[in-house]
Amino acid sequence: MMTLSDDTKVVENFVRVAQIIANLESILTQAKNLSLTAKNARVVALRAGDAALGFKPITNFIDEFSEQTINSTTKIADLSNQLFNKALKLVRSSQYYHQMTILKSQMKSTQVESMYQQALKSQRRAASQLSHALSELENHFEDIQKQMQSAEYIAVTSRVEATNAGDFSDSLQSVSDFIASAAKTIKTAVVYNLSEIHTLRGVLR
Amino acid sequence: MKLAELYKAKTHSWMMLECNGSAINTQGCVNQYFVHTQHESMLMDPGGIELFSPMLAAILQHTELDKLTTLFASHQDPDIIATLSLWDKAISNATLYAPALWDRFIEHFDLDNLHFEGINDEGGEIQLGGVRLRLLPAHYLHSAGNFQLYDPAAKILMSANVGAAIKTQNDAKYVEDFSKHIKEIEQFHKRWMPSNQAKSNWIARVKELDINILAPNHGKLYQGEQVQEFLEWFDKLDVGSAAK
Repeated sequence: MMTLSDDTKVVENFVRVAQIIANLESILTQAKNLSLTAKNARVVALRAGDAALGFKPITNFIDEFSEQTINSTTKIADLSNQLFNKALKLVRSSQYYHQMTILKSQMKSTQVESMYQQALKSQRRAASQLSHALSELENHFEDIQKQMQSAEYIAVTSRVEATNAGDFSDSLQSVSDFIASAAKTIKTAVVYNLSEIHTLRGVLR
Repeated sequence: MKLAELYKAKTHSWMMLECNGSAINTQGCVNQYFVHTQHESMLMDPGGIELFSPMLAAILQHTELDKLTTLFASHQDPDIIATLSLWDKAISNATLYAPALWDRFIEHFDLDNLHFEGINDEGGEIQLGGVRLRLLPAHYLHSAGNFQLYDPAAKILMSANVGAAIKTQNDAKYVEDFSKHIKEIEQFHKRWMPSNQAKSNWIARVKELDINILAPNHGKLYQGEQVQEFLEWFDKLDVGSAAK
């Protein structure tokens, strides 16, 4: 368990939460780009006609997982405000607990003991609430991770289909490249966030 | 650290946190005042973080925490209200009286428990366990929204930064020789008090009050004749030095 009175650690963890949330922006941007790419790919596939027949269901897949990623990221963005509040509550209750520890060392009385216990309880409650919110966040990131695995699979499939698209082969090839690159960027951000969440939850346990 | 008594009557008493400890003096000791009645107590200018636990320990020697119903903040400086978020956790049912001008600043403390009562520019009063305390406007002395607290029964004026001596040795509670004390307060008042007009207006109003103790935020207190000596000296002082 974190040394509750360690202000530096508390602030470090607050920064960790901020970094997780900052990463969301890049995930959301990439997911929106994916969605846009799916729409463009659909237009190209239509123009390519029979030559890109196999590409059409792929664009539907891209659309589907990019929408899912946008939804997950939006849910995370909603959660992020709560997460900041919970992290802030933990910072404050840790500061208060620290002061109560000083008070307890200066003065022995039942009231001081009760205030100390109250501060400890409140600090633990704040830590548990933050841990709970992080767990929820972890689930959302794991969802995105699964969606990106699908994206990588689709990137490979679409590359094969693009080679059969005649004059439109290059355009569809670049769609496949983009899916692969966006999925990689999102996966990197998600892996980083999951690792930060893991560290934070370990500290709060 | 303990609370030293300034005034005691059947109805209420005034105390101040004695801060002779070197650890506190290094940060510019803040005089914290505490008014105690049978059922309610008030802490004035709750102070910086370094004073939170000593003050709390000192208060608990005199009263139960749920009787600390009132906080008063004369202005917005960090040495005056940096501990607000900690007091907000310690006392669940208290009212904070502070200049209404600073309400949007106070909001940044994101208080959960303390009820904020903004004091309008013209002042007002606080009823503390049946004791009437006047909130005296002292705007621009030094802060744009600044109040002092006057107790007509105890004849004490908590004067916030007026009369303050920063980083001085608090070897005695009261000023003994005002002429020697001037060097401790002159630069501070010239630089921190921005307006001669505000100063003259305040002096005219304060001269109407019966004051036995003038109790500033920092340094020694003024008692009896020293109060008049200070007022006369301050009246002649040209303030707002940085704008000249």
